[in-house]
Amino acid sequence: MKQFTVTQQREKCIGCNACVEVYPEKWRMSQKDGKATLVRAINKKGFYSTTFHAHEWKAFNLAAQHCPVKIINISSKHD
Amino acid sequence: MNNTELLAPVGSFESLMAAIQGGCDAFYFGVEQLNMRTRSSYNFGVDDLPNIAEIAREHNKKAYLTLNTILYDYDLRLMQEIVQKAKEAKIDAIIAADLAVISYCKKMGIPVHISTQANVSNIETVEFYSQFADLIVLARELTLSQVAQIIKEIALRKIKGPSGNLLKIEIFSHGALCMAISGKCYLSLHTHNSSANRGACIQNCRREYLVTDKEDGFELAIDNQYIMSAKDLCTIDFLDKIVEIGISVIKIEGRGRAPDYVYKTTKCYRQALDAIAAGSYNQEKVKIWIEELATVYNRGFWDGYYLGRKMGEWSAIHGSAATQKRIYIGKGVKYFTKSGIGEFVVESHALSIGNKIMITGPSLGYLETIVDEIRVADQEVETVKKGQHFSIKVSQKIRPSDKLFKIVDS
Repeated sequence: MKQFTVTQQREKCIGCNACVEVYPEKWRMSQKDGKATLVRAINKKGFYSTTFHAHEWKAFNLAAQHCPVKIINISSKHD
Repeated sequence: MNNTELLAPVGSFESLMAAIQGGCDAFYFGVEQLNMRTRSSYNFGVDDLPNIAEIAREHNKKAYLTLNTILYDYDLRLMQEIVQKAKEAKIDAIIAADLAVISYCKKMGIPVHISTQANVSNIETVEFYSQFADLIVLARELTLSQVAQIIKEIALRKIKGPSGNLLKIEIFSHGALCMAISGKCYLSLHTHNSSANRGACIQNCRREYLVTDKEDGFELAIDNQYIMSAKDLCTIDFLDKIVEIGISVIKIEGRGRAPDYVYKTTKCYRQALDAIAAGSYNQEKVKIWIEELATVYNRGFWDGYYLGRKMGEWSAIHGSAATQKRIYIGKGVKYFTKSGIGEFVVESHALSIGNKIMITGPSLGYLETIVDEIRVADQEVETVKKGQHFSIKVSQKIRPSDKLFKIVDS
């Protein structure tokens, strides 16, 4: 089954809330530092990522498109 | 008797040193994402606050922290943390527009300045904010006579801030202007979901546009395609009038701009304020200052709304109209203190004797000089090229974090 990875360069987040608006199931605004947090993401040197399946692609892609600072990136991988 | 404070923009440690060298009395800067230059400048973190405050104290300058975006519920904790850390670091004041910040600062006992983002344009609003702040930055769209009237009325009504002193007024004296009332532009949000009021303006107004009639598809011919790009504000030619009406602080815009801009604008306005105080301010000096101001980033100058223009003046160019530009040459390697010689390495282009250069760095700030001698392996040479190490005489210590640029006419 085709899998995708979504990555957020969290440090550069300006806390505009756009990703939460389009996909609240997977994005939360942190009450601690006011930046968006990707649910269940793994942090590698400031890049937070998690994998997802095709049915979520539309919602994650919308979040990536709406991000004003373009720090959300989607890539696909076959396994 | 002139004690108008000169407030310089700082978006990096390089600019901070450049502002100090230029002769500012105070500087303003932002941390984290809750300030109006979240996108365009390198922003300091809360951990930098003690260091910045220390540099300010060391040089006897005041440090003001901008915390002036629109705030949402989830921003409140970060806002409070920033205010607390600013107080611990003894930052002199916080520049705020949102009432949540203003009231929290009052609670914490840290002085607050009302940001231009609050669009204060009349005496009643001034009086309202005086319960929180000792200084108010007026809306940038007022005319000078409107500003003068407000200052007069403050004295008449004896409007005082929390400190018990008469309320102070600050205005912008130099730098970029918006095509909309500050803080009321939603262009960037509409087209790119990127809110100017969260410090993420993408500056749509600075681009070229065609106007198309949707019914018949005809494109309207417009003399100047940059129909929304306001020229940069410059008040140095009537700064005496600004001082005369009793402005307490003049602010230079440009936290997103380079150290050379910060240094030169600060220096020119410092010299102008000093000349006014000494009674030696005249139009010949103004001419020299304007020429110097034009060498760094600008979109052409106009006098803003102060002298009562009805319509804005629009810039005819994309980007900068600066009369000079800088070309990156290379970076610092080391400094020989005894001989006053700095070693550099060329990373692009070439450098020759007679070239005008500038060096910027987080500790060095801004330094401008003319190359009169270049040495490679202790031999005098005319020119150095990419990859070569060379040494030149410099008056200040050089570090690997310093960058060297060639200044050429553009």
